Formats: sequence, C-alpha cells, structure tokens
Amino acid sequence: MLVTSALITGLALGSMYGLLALGFHVTYAVSSTVNFAQGSSMMLGAVFAYTFAVTLGWPLAPAAFLALALCALYGVIVELLAVRPFARRGSSAWLMATVALGIVADNTVLFTFGKEPRGFTLAWAQGSVQLAGINVSWLQIAIPAVGLALAAALHLFSRHTKLGKAMLAVVQNPDAARLMGINVALAVSLAYAASSLFAGAAGIMIAPLFNVHSDMGTLFGLKAFAVAILGGVTSAWGVMLAGLIFGLTESLITALLGSGYTQILSFALVIAALALMPNGLFGRAEVKKV
Amino acid sequence: MKLALFAVSFLVVFIFTVTANSYYVFIMATLALTAITGIGLNVLLGLTGQVSFGHVGFYALGAYAVAILTVAAKWSFWAALPVAAAVAAATGALLALPAVRVRGPYLAMVTIAFGFIVEHVAVEWRALTGGQNGIMGIPQPAPFGVPFGERGVALAAIVVAAAATLLYSIFAKSQFGKAMRAVKDSEVAAESVGLAPVRVKTAAFAISACAAGIAGAFFAPLSGFVTPSTFAFSQSILFVLVVLIGGAGSVAGPLVGAAIVVLLPEVLAGLAEYRLLFFGALLLFVLWLAPEGVVGALTKLASRKKASRRPEAGSVALAPRAQSGLAVQNLGIAFGGVRAAHEIAFEAKPGQVTSLIGPNGAGKTTVLNLLSGFYRPDAGVIRLDATEIQGMPAWRIARAGVARTYQTTQLFGSMTVLENLQISRKNAAEQDLHALLSFVGYAGDVDARASDLAHVDKRLVEIARALATRPALLLLDEPAAGLSAADKAALARLLRRIADGGVAVVLVEHDMSVVMGISDHVVVLDAGVRIAAGTPAEVQRDPAVRKAYLGDGQVRQAAERRTPGAPLLEVGRLAAGYGAEPVLKGIDLGVREGEMVAVLGANGAGKSTLMRAIAGLHRPVDGGISFERTEISRERADRVVRRGVVLVPEGRQVFPELSVLDNLALGAFSRKKWSSGEIDEMLERFPKLRARLQQRAGLLSGGEQQMLALARGLMAKPRLLLLDEPSLGLAPTVIGDLFAALDRLRGEAATILLVDQMAGLALALADRAYVIDAGRIVASGAAGEIAADGALEKAYLAVG
Amino acid sequence: MAWVLLSFTRFFWEVDMRILLAALAFLLGISNASAQTIKIGLVTALSGQSARAGEAITRGLAIAIDEINAKGGVLGRQLELVRRDDEATPAKGVIAARELLFKEKVAVLFGGLDTPVSLAIVPIMNQEKVPFMGPWAAGTPITRNGADPNFVFRVSAVDEIVNRAMLQYSQKTFNAKNCGMILVNNPWGESNEKGLTAALAAKGMKPAGVEKFDGNDVDVVPQLTRLKAAGADCLFLVGNVGPSAQVVKSLDRMGWKPPIVSHWGPAGGRFTELAGPSAKDVHFIQTYSFFGKQSPVGEKVLKALMAKYPDVKGAGDVTPAVGVANAYDGMMLTAMAIQNAGSIDGPKIREGFYRIGRYEGLIKTYDKPFTPGNHDAVNENDYVWTQFIDNQILPVGMKN
Repeated sequence: MLVTSALITGLALGSMYGLLALGFHVTYAVSSTVNFAQGSSMMLGAVFAYTFAVTLGWPLAPAAFLALALCALYGVIVELLAVRPFARRGSSAWLMATVALGIVADNTVLFTFGKEPRGFTLAWAQGSVQLAGINVSWLQIAIPAVGLALAAALHLFSRHTKLGKAMLAVVQNPDAARLMGINVALAVSLAYAASSLFAGAAGIMIAPLFNVHSDMGTLFGLKAFAVAILGGVTSAWGVMLAGLIFGLTESLITALLGSGYTQILSFALVIAALALMPNGLFGRAEVKKV
Repeated sequence: MKLALFAVSFLVVFIFTVTANSYYVFIMATLALTAITGIGLNVLLGLTGQVSFGHVGFYALGAYAVAILTVAAKWSFWAALPVAAAVAAATGALLALPAVRVRGPYLAMVTIAFGFIVEHVAVEWRALTGGQNGIMGIPQPAPFGVPFGERGVALAAIVVAAAATLLYSIFAKSQFGKAMRAVKDSEVAAESVGLAPVRVKTAAFAISACAAGIAGAFFAPLSGFVTPSTFAFSQSILFVLVVLIGGAGSVAGPLVGAAIVVLLPEVLAGLAEYRLLFFGALLLFVLWLAPEGVVGALTKLASRKKASRRPEAGSVALAPRAQSGLAVQNLGIAFGGVRAAHEIAFEAKPGQVTSLIGPNGAGKTTVLNLLSGFYRPDAGVIRLDATEIQGMPAWRIARAGVARTYQTTQLFGSMTVLENLQISRKNAAEQDLHALLSFVGYAGDVDARASDLAHVDKRLVEIARALATRPALLLLDEPAAGLSAADKAALARLLRRIADGGVAVVLVEHDMSVVMGISDHVVVLDAGVRIAAGTPAEVQRDPAVRKAYLGDGQVRQAAERRTPGAPLLEVGRLAAGYGAEPVLKGIDLGVREGEMVAVLGANGAGKSTLMRAIAGLHRPVDGGISFERTEISRERADRVVRRGVVLVPEGRQVFPELSVLDNLALGAFSRKKWSSGEIDEMLERFPKLRARLQQRAGLLSGGEQQMLALARGLMAKPRLLLLDEPSLGLAPTVIGDLFAALDRLRGEAATILLVDQMAGLALALADRAYVIDAGRIVASGAAGEIAADGALEKAYLAVG
Repeated sequence: MAWVLLSFTRFFWEVDMRILLAALAFLLGISNASAQTIKIGLVTALSGQSARAGEAITRGLAIAIDEINAKGGVLGRQLELVRRDDEATPAKGVIAARELLFKEKVAVLFGGLDTPVSLAIVPIMNQEKVPFMGPWAAGTPITRNGADPNFVFRVSAVDEIVNRAMLQYSQKTFNAKNCGMILVNNPWGESNEKGLTAALAAKGMKPAGVEKFDGNDVDVVPQLTRLKAAGADCLFLVGNVGPSAQVVKSLDRMGWKPPIVSHWGPAGGRFTELAGPSAKDVHFIQTYSFFGKQSPVGEKVLKALMAKYPDVKGAGDVTPAVGVANAYDGMMLTAMAIQNAGSIDGPKIREGFYRIGRYEGLIKTYDKPFTPGNHDAVNENDYVWTQFIDNQILPVGMKN
C-alpha cells in the first residue's frame, strides 16, 4: 500500500525529472552546452500559466499554449545572451552565465509575480480513481502520461521529420550539417527553445502539486541535471529512463526512511556515478585529440 | 606600493571595527569571513580553473566542528579552530577524488551534490548536530580568560583575512601557484612539463576547503548558533559571485568581490532586497565585458607599460641524460576497431634527428601521443635508455626525460614567456632561462603574455619550454606549420643544433625540404603502418613511398577533353589561417563551367583549408572568392550551398547514426523540391548503396561511405562540386570504382574542383591542375603538363 | 559606509591619508546619530509562504501606532515602525534583529511568525536588555526561556496551552479517542510534540503515532498512511501554511477524511488556494476573529483598517485576523509600558510592563497581563476555533 502509493508519486516526479533532463540532453547534444538554470525555465512555465489561467481567467488550453510559447522564447533568449557569446569564443563561461541569468529571472519573477507561493488548481485534476486498491488522482496519471508523450514526440520528431533529422545531423556532425545547408546556429536556438519548452511543460504539470513561486524550480533543476548526467547526457532514452528510476527511488526512500535521507542518498549516488563513469551511464566517451 | 595600500586598507577596516557599533561590527566580520572564503575559492577557481558550487559545505563543516567541540566537548575555541580547518581540508581532498576526474558542468554537479549532502547530514544526524534546531549558545573565544566578544571575533577575522591575502599573493607567485595556473591553461602541456594535474587539483581543493573551514570556524562564535538553514546552496553561489565579480585569479579580487556583496546592500539600504537581482545582472555584465572582474578591469585602465626585456644570450648546456636513446618495438593502438598504429618499430638515437613522415591519416601524431604518454598503447614497448615507459602517465614520462611540442602550440597563455619556462625548471636561474630563449632564437619581451605572441614566437617559446626540462628525447609535432620560408630555415638550423647538443630529436613534419634537409633517419608511415625507413635519400627513392604519396602512377585513360564554358569560380589573393598561424598566403585560381580542375600538393600545404574556405566552412578569410560573379567570401557554408557550391568533405563525414536513405535526403536539404525518383537515380549511379539503403551509415565500409558522401553531395544538384581527398584511405579496387564514378560525372560535363593526394588519379581525370606549396600556387597548367613537370615531386618529396 | 568600498577600489591610485582620516572621523560620527522618534522594530517573514502573516502584523502595529501618535505619541514623541524581512530563517532574523537594535536603536522589537527565528533572537534581546514582544510565534520556550531578568513578552498563543486546547477540542467536537500527530520537522514541531505528548499524558492517553515531515515535502502520504494503519481517528496538525496544505492534498490523494485539529499554521497564508477545497476540513485555533459581534475596540480597529488599506472592505478581508489583533494589542500594551517607564531604557520598560493594570483591548480586557512569573498575556480562555471557508477565516459554525 505504502509502496504502491510511493511508486505512483515517484512515477510522476520521475517523468518530470526526465522532461527537464531531456531538455539538458537536447541542448548538450546539439551544442555541448546546457542552460544550467533549467529550473528557472520550469518556474517560468508555471508562472506564465498561472498568470494566464488564474489571474486573467483564460481557459487552460490557450493559457498553457501561450505559456509554453513564451518559455520557448525564453530559451532562445538564454542561448542568445548567456551561451552564444561564450561558446563562440570557446570559453566555458556559459555555465556561470546561465546561472546568473537564472538568478535574474528568479528575482524578476519574485518582484513581479509576488513573494508568496500561489496555488494552481486544475478542476479536472482533483478527481481520483481507484487503482490497485489505492486512490490515484487524475493528475498523478496525467503527469507521467504527458511526460512520456512529450519524450515520444521528441523521438518521433527527430527520426521522422525533415527538421528533426537535420537536428540529428547537427548532433552527429556539425560541419557536415552546414555543408547540407543546415543553419547550425538556428538549430542551436531551436534546441534551446525546445529544452525550455519541455521545462515549462514540466512546470505547468507540477504546479498543482508544488504551488507556484519564484523558487520552485531551483532544486528540481539541479536534480534533473543529476538525472541527465546519470542517464548520460548524450542519450535521449537513457535520460528519460534515468529520470523515472531517480523519481521512483527517491519516492521509495522517502516512504521508507524519511525525506532527509533521500537527498543524501541521491546526491551521494550522483557523486559516486560520476566518479566511476565520468561520461554518465549511457553516454559515450569521445576520443581525445591533441 | 601595493603592499602599502593593502596594509592601510586593512588598518582602516580594523580601526573602524574597534570603534563601530555592534551591528557594523557584525557586518565587518561577515565581510572578513566572506573574504577569507573567497580567497580560498580563488585558489581553486581563479588559479586552477575548477568551478565549485558547494563551498558552503566546507564553511558549514568548519562552523559545526567548532560548535560541537566548544559546546558539547567544552574545548577552547583556539583548540577547535585547527581541528575545524583540518576537517575541512581533509574533506576537500576527499571530494577531489571524484572531482578531479570530471570537468565543466559535471564538476559543478559534483560540488553541488556535496553541498547538499553536508546540509542534509546536518539535519539528519541529530545526535551530533542538533538536527534542524542546530546548536545554540556557542561560547565566544576567551584567551587568557578575557572574553572576546563579537568585536574580538570580528577583529580576529579581519587579521586572518589580512594574513590570507598575504599568503595568497605569495602563493600565486610561487612555484605552486604557477603550477596551478599551468594546469588551468593547458592540462596537457602541464603534464608534458612534468606536473601531475591530479595532485595539483587535489591540493587546490584542499586549500580552498581549508580556508572556507576556517571562515566557518569563526562564524560559529560570531553568530552564537548554527543551524542547517544557515548553510544553504544559495550561499555557495554567492561565494562564486564574490570571486568572479571581484576578479578571479587576482589578489584583490575576492576582497573587492566581498566588499561588493556584503557592503553594497548596506550602502544602498533601500534597495537591499533587490541585491540578488543586482548581483546576477552584475555577474552577467562582468562575464560579457570584463571577464577579469572589477579588479581586472581597473588594472587594465591603470596599467602602465613596463619596459620590455629581451633575453640575454648565454651558454646553454642541454645536458641530456640519455645514452642509448629511444627504441620502439611493435607499438600499436586501435580506436573503436580502427587501427591507428600497428607494429610500429624504430629507433631514435641521441644526437640524431629522426623524422616521421607520411600522408594524411598515417598515424604520425598518434605515434607521438603514444611516446609522450597521452595515449596508452594496446601493444608494444617504448624504451628510453633502459627504462620502459609505455603505459606510464604522461607526467611521469615527462619527468623521465621526454619533452614535446604540439601541433597547435600549447603554451600557458595567461603566463609570461619567462614564467612558461620557470614552470618547467624549478629553481632555475633567470639567466639560464634567458640563455635558452636566446638559443632558440626568441628575440621578444620575456615578460610578454604568452597568448599575445606572434605565431612563430609561440613555436620558439614552446621549444624553449620543452628544452628547459632537460629532456633526453624531444618530440616535435609539425613545428614548421605556418612559418615563412626564412623562419622555417631558422627552425631547421635550430633543430639541428639541438640534436648536435646530444638530444634525440623526433620530428613529425610535412615540409619535405625541412625534413630532408636535417634528418639523419626518416621513418615513413602510411595508414598506421611503417612502410619504409632509411636515410633521406633512400626514402626519396623508395617506390613504396612514392606510391603512398603520389599514387600508383597507374595511368588511367580518361574520356575526351571538352571545351570549358564561362568562368564559374574565381579565387583571388585568398589568405586564411588559424589564429596567428597563416596557412593560405595568397591563392589565385579559377574554374570554368564544365571543367575538372585538380589541386595538388603535400600535406600541410593548405589544400583542405582552401576547400573549406571556398565552401564557407572557414571564415573569415582575406581576399576574394566569387562564384558566378557574386562575392561569397563572407558567406557561411549553409548559404554557399544554396548557391550550388557543394563540398564533399575530407574523411567522408557521413552522418553515422542516420540511415543511408536519410543521408541522401539530407543532401537535398537545401533544395525546395525534390522527388524520390532522384534517390533511385543515385542508387543506379552507385549500385552498392541499394542493398544498404536502410542501414546506419556508420556501419558502411570506407569505400561505400565515400560513394554515399558523393551521392549525398550530388543530391544537392551542385553547379560546382568540390571534392576533398575522395581517395583517402580507400583500397585500390575501390579506388577503381571511384575513378569510374568521377569519370562518369566528367562525361556529364559536371564542373568539379578536385583535391587528392593521389596525384596520378587526379591528373588522369582533370583538365587543368594547380600545385600548392606552403600556402601558395607554385605551378599551374594543363593536367598533362603538370604530370610531366617535376614540380609535383619537388613539392611532395623535396626531390630536385 | 561608502568610503569603505571606496578604499578598496582605490588600490591603483594615490591614496591621500588626510581624506582617509577625515572619512574615518565622519563614519564614527554617523554611528551616533540621535533620533527624534521612538522606533519600534519588527522582524518577521515579509516574503515567502507566510508573507500575508507578516503583512497582517505590520497592519496591526500600524493601526495601533497611528492611534497612539494621533493622541500625541508616547513621552511626547511620535512612534515610528521599522521593518525587516527575516525570510523565515534564524540566520537572517538574527542579522535583522542586530540591525534594528544597533543601527536603528529601536526601543522595543516585535517578533514574527516563526518560532525558530524568535528562539534565535531571544538570547540577544536578553543580552542587550531590550524588550521583545512576540505577536505570533507560539513556541513555549520563547517566553519561558529561563533568563533572569527576562525581557521577552508575548501577546499570542502559547504552544503548551494551545496543545491542551487542541486535545480538549478534539474530544469535545469530534469525540476523538486515538489522535495521531503529523508535525513539521523543525523546532516549532518539536515544541508542539512535547506539548501534545504532555497534554495527552495528563489525561492518561497516548497518541496513535507521531509522524514528522519536511517542510519541502510534497508527498506526505507515507506518514499519513502509517497513522491510518495505526488506527488514528483524528489528526493533530502542526505546520506552516505550505506544509499544512501539502498534508491536506496528500489526504485527498489517499481519500482519507479524518477530522483535523490544527495549530494556527494555516492562518499564515492563502490556505484555501494552496490546499484546495478540502481546506475547510481543517479546524485551527485563533486568538481573535473580526466576524460576529465586535466590541467597540473591534469596530474601531476594523474601521481604521478599512480607512487605511483599500483592499480591506470588510471582516473577511482581514486575513489572518490573528496577526492584526495580537499586534494591535501588543503595541498598545508596549506603549503603556514605555509610558510607565518614563524613558526608552530597556530595563525600565520591562518594569513598565509589570505595572500595566487594566486595558480594554481588542482580544479581551487585560488586567495586570504581565507579572514576573508570567510573560504571556493571552491564555486558553481567549482562543477561538476557526476554519478557512473560501479564503476567509471564519469561526467554526459561522456561515459566510
């Protein structure tokens, strides 16, 4: 009973970790950079959705749609301001720059959205259904469903559309991709837009559980990066799988031992994993050249 | 002067703290503790270039150590302080175990994870830490029974901060500090001068952790209580901000950074709640505009040009240690199934120059990497005198007497020329180093920043740095690339002098005049295997060598020559390079519609750079490239493709995880409309691809990949097709297929610019040809003329 | 202050010693500025989940100060409120308290919601001998801190007493026999664990179980499941508004609807919004409500609130009422203490508190509220049980 409930929660959280981590994967594959403050993108998704759906009273569908569009735009801005200037000159300062931009975003939201957490209720998500002898709310079913659906959509997109294959080409060989006429800079922007969109979607889904406030994404984003590392930032399915496993494990440990130990164990696991496999569990090592 | 400024500032802060009210005392103390942590973090981040987002963890360790010892065990603060520092330092060294193996975002993650673990252990280990409640009532230090009070703690903290600043400035200039900066600039080069990066980075972690621990130790009595929530993740970010905003690597940086982070919110009290927003934005601006931080920006503004110092000549004793030199047997390594080197064997005797030559992809740099320890061989023995050095870590091999230079010079860019040498030889007298610099021919300022040097000077300094380690064996990787004729001649003479001084010199070089001019022994590699060895003259006459370079000389009969149409491509005075290294020095060539033109030349001559420049991959370039009368020298590859200039790149470069079909489809990406019938046409042209249509392109053989790359290029319906080394690495039978395919294209009056090492192949197909040597066109004319002319042989093998 | 920053940035220019010395003298001077007003300090959460509570305390103090100043102030001087945000962390709270004590030189410091923050500030208050008035934080050891002389006073609930009231209410209203505790894992939770256990023991009872959860936890289902399995027929809830909301949502997910008797954590923020429709099932304690028949003082305060704050249009907009009421009475009593003291000297004000006789306040009529043995002005007779109905706190049983 306890375990089943923990598993269901874990599945929901895990698929959200996976979504965020997928965002890391997409940008890292295409450009070898990430938005280290991915949590801020997630928070923005929730904040935008709240503003449209609750403050302005729009129906959920257009609110979510516009929120996601704004998130994608934010992703493009992140790349333009915090990644491109540094990646272009071969500097790794994009790591700090994305963190700084995240701080700016979080604090801007703090002063515009408000300092209190706000509740985001979805009427249809309140109901629940009996599953395996316990109550499962619709939200808990919807979250992993949406998460996996988005991951599948990404997979289909990249394998079966012209644009998707062009992105894969950039991942596999940027110079050759240029020779095909593919605009690699545009591909990178697109990757960041997609990554931010995933994060925003995760934020919107999580908002009813966590409530909306400017800080909501920080810890989530960090853990998602740990997930991305464990899954090997170069493998999409590895990342999603790692997210699910991470969420389930976290949930089980919390149920059985208490939440403090969860944090300790999960972060210790991250360190151990990186110590043993500096390229992640599924990632591939590149041959060094000098 | 600077010392006086620091002393005055600290004195002023000290006096202020003596007289100010309790609140300001607390602020000053916070400032001092932040500064101490920042100085420690500066060692890690500023000097060694390792990021850490978890330093609040060490701060917490120090604070809790003091709290536990003084409250529960009733120790005196002064006894608890060194324990706190030791605990933090030990934990730092422990964290280094995983941390030094990773870099960039992975390193950030490790440190973040550490910070969280410390915070949550503090929450869970109630018996020791009091859990969420923390530990209250931490007594203040009372030396000699006189209670310190907050003021006392603050003053002590300021004194420690001053001491830390002093220590840092001494440390940064010391050999340790230089070693850290070397590791930051280039880990590879640091290893090659005998530094062990793992040890250096571990030391950096331990030192920075110790500083944070000491700061935390003072924090405990200052605040009177410690709780886990005091040591949150955001604090770690603030510490990094302190270092970066102030100026990473500089002495004053953490002080200025701490002042900004701690004092600015006090000064602008009304806006204090916006401080995080402000810091985030400030950091962004610093990263964009002033990466050296506030201090760095101010230094630039205020700096006066110091007089430059030239190296003084002196006697140089190379004093190598080797007697019998280098002996290599059966050396081999494979990467993912591809044998980059196989059963390599040769000797390099002291006092001799042994050159490794071979066409592209022969494995020359791989062999150097194996010798210097950058790669670990799968098989074979490398013996230097009596010692077997294969498999040893690179820094150990360096200490055993092997020095090397790199294809792209790996100087320690942020350090001066002199410092680059000082790292290689500890406790060297400056005049000895000067003598070394003068010996290699460096005539510039010894205090110039290494990254500011001209290309040829970088090469010379790199050689001097290598010599400073007193090597028995000196490995040089294409040192002549990008040099002018005069500089090359000087370099050749230098290498000869080095060899005469008793060092065993192993040289990898493309420039045949250099190689043949100074080598005692030449080893020829092709496709990872040794194909010839002997004196320069022997090698030049060796038929296997000629075949490897020039092709099998098999004369193939091509179809009728046609009359070419209007000029399609015109290249005028094209110059391009990599940073300070020039490759193309003024190329003029043209291709007319319906023509097939070949560009020939030895490796390093610039053929690939030329193709990449025309295709738009290499930007910016000087000079002009015009296609159908439009200037394209400023356009990037994706636009150039849309004009109809399509490059089939060197090394095929198919998309390995995509299917053959997908690869072909991508070839047509730049076109608006195309039909699947065109795919059938391609399959008809290259029948071997039909069976593999759905397979991943990476699984195809070399020849099949070349066909695929060619088909992919053709899918773009090019007006001008550029082919870069299509025959590279192909078996002879496959080359026949390639020839047939190209001949067919020729018959269809395609306009083609072809670069290939197989001169025979290229000349049989082409109407006209150009020969490039050292970045310039040295011959041009009808294909038949060039074939008969000796210019080719001269360029490829320095014969005649 | 700016000079210190300047000194660091003048590394690379000539330094004029005379300027430095002059600046030093100036700086010494500004530390001794004299004040015209009597400053009253407030350290509370002004951001985060409990921001509303902080705002409520502010309003209560402001209304009281306006009233006092209109009558000529205290000791012929006007009162001035100076606020700082403690961000609900003890470390920030202590820094804010220091600033108010030493830089702003407040005569009295009002605390905020969070027990851990107040607990951290209390030692400094006793050390510096400046009175502290708690308008909300209910941790028992805040006023019963063992210091002598004790400078900490409170007009608010006290955990020990609240715990007894909680047990009583659960028995009276729900006939509960086997209550389980679900408490937030921090010093406030621990204080209540002690109080509840003692209250149960006094009646010869034991809890069904004691479960702790982290303030950041989203999923409290495991802990609640254990309580349910132990046969709990009622829950004692102690936690701030955010964590309490998560408990309610977790119960929803489990489909379990036991009666919930809670401390006043939910009152700190937007409970209904955060917890959802089941928020109304939580019965929690308050010291005052603006609903129902008001005393003359109540009407006066309500009118003043509506006049000063446009978003207050009726009793329902004063949420949480507790913050306003406790702070108002606390400020009035403090003003009386200062008046009694005849100066702003801390020890004298402390004596002034003891000399307060009768005061017709908002929560009740006080009669000698503070004695050396009792620094808490409010006791269990003054508690009110309430629920959140549609974002408003109403006494139980009252319809909107």
